[in-house]
Amino acid sequence: MTDFLDEIEAAVPALRRYARALTRDADRADDLVQDCLERAIRKRGLWRPTGPLKAWLFRMLLNLYRNDLRGARRRGVHMALDAMPIEPSTPPSQPGRIALAEISRALDQLPNDQREALLLVAVEGTSYADAAGILGIPAGTLMSRLGRARAALRALTGAGDEPRLRTVK
Amino acid sequence: MSAPHDERRDSNVTEEMLHAFADGQLDNAHRGAVEAFLAANPDKAAEVALWQRQNAALSTLFGPIAVEPVPARLSPREIAARQAARRPAWARMAAAAVLLISIGAGTGWYLRTATTSQEEISDRLIDGAIAAHALYVRESRHAVEVGAADKGHLVTWLSNRLGRAIEAPDLSAQGFTLVGGRLLPPLADTGKGPGAQLMYQNQTSDRLTVYITASSKDFGKASETYDEQGLEAYYWANDQITCTVVGDLPQTQMQTVAKGVFQQLSWRPDPPGRS
Repeated sequence: MTDFLDEIEAAVPALRRYARALTRDADRADDLVQDCLERAIRKRGLWRPTGPLKAWLFRMLLNLYRNDLRGARRRGVHMALDAMPIEPSTPPSQPGRIALAEISRALDQLPNDQREALLLVAVEGTSYADAAGILGIPAGTLMSRLGRARAALRALTGAGDEPRLRTVK
Repeated sequence: MSAPHDERRDSNVTEEMLHAFADGQLDNAHRGAVEAFLAANPDKAAEVALWQRQNAALSTLFGPIAVEPVPARLSPREIAARQAARRPAWARMAAAAVLLISIGAGTGWYLRTATTSQEEISDRLIDGAIAAHALYVRESRHAVEVGAADKGHLVTWLSNRLGRAIEAPDLSAQGFTLVGGRLLPPLADTGKGPGAQLMYQNQTSDRLTVYITASSKDFGKASETYDEQGLEAYYWANDQITCTVVGDLPQTQMQTVAKGVFQQLSWRPDPPGRS
């Protein structure tokens, strides 16, 4: 019980980060995380989760997020404009560096399934196997979502037009 | 020193390996091949470098969130303590009511500690109810065997097959109308007969199901449980039926609905307060 709560606690910062990156709304993200934690803790005695606890928590968080999205669509609720992240100003960037504001906007335009996959891998550093498990998709599907997400970001940020890096080895 | 262009080979380097390389997930066995491939394919090397810059930008954007102080409401210990302090009011009420009914029925039932097998049976029934829910709520034309238009027939038929006089609860107060119902095969290792599934729907097309089997003398605790698909299930049993309410509504709404079902389906030999 104590170990279980400790293990959950250790996952909270990452859950908050993923929820915030998905929703772009700090309150909504924390609401999702709270709901996720409450379910996990209530469920503890009833089901023995198989596999790593962190992946189980992420899977639950994603389900809640998707339910929330469905509900929002049904009710036609639009996100508040102030839900947009504060865009950090980027210094005159080094060549090849992507402006954060630009990638933030681009991320918003990705289809949800691609965004879920890319954030799990790129921000959470989740292994491909775990990410596929969390998303409930085969490994091949994960890779193609990742590929499409990266290509879309490239197109949306115009980063593809940058001067080619010369690789010298 | 660089590999000459005419030596570029697609070799065995796949797109997956390039992503794995960019994400630091490539196993050592393929690293050499990928590095050689990138050296020979500047276009691909530029693309992989771009992916890495995308990763870096996303990490810079969202990384700091994980080092923010965590609000107290997200402390697992506090949540556990809160939950221990207040079990859902209706669950307590349900447990008390079932107890009352069982004594009132004079079946010689007495309180016993729940045996493992009883818990297992409850869990199997809940599992079965959740699986049946997940299977049928997504159907549009074949969601039910008998529609609500034939409600009289539906209730009689299911009652006969279950060997219990059941009703289709009226959930209009909770905003749900009956879609219909179906008969389901008995679940293995539960000792229960066939199950009846009743499906309800509200105006925003949220669906919930009520799963009923006959029960004999066993007493299942009023309980709640959750499955991994964001579904929530509420289960109880008395000496006539077991009942599981499944749905994906917000918790407070699920509780209201489950309470409504409980109140209407509980088998009452006497109105409370008169026995």
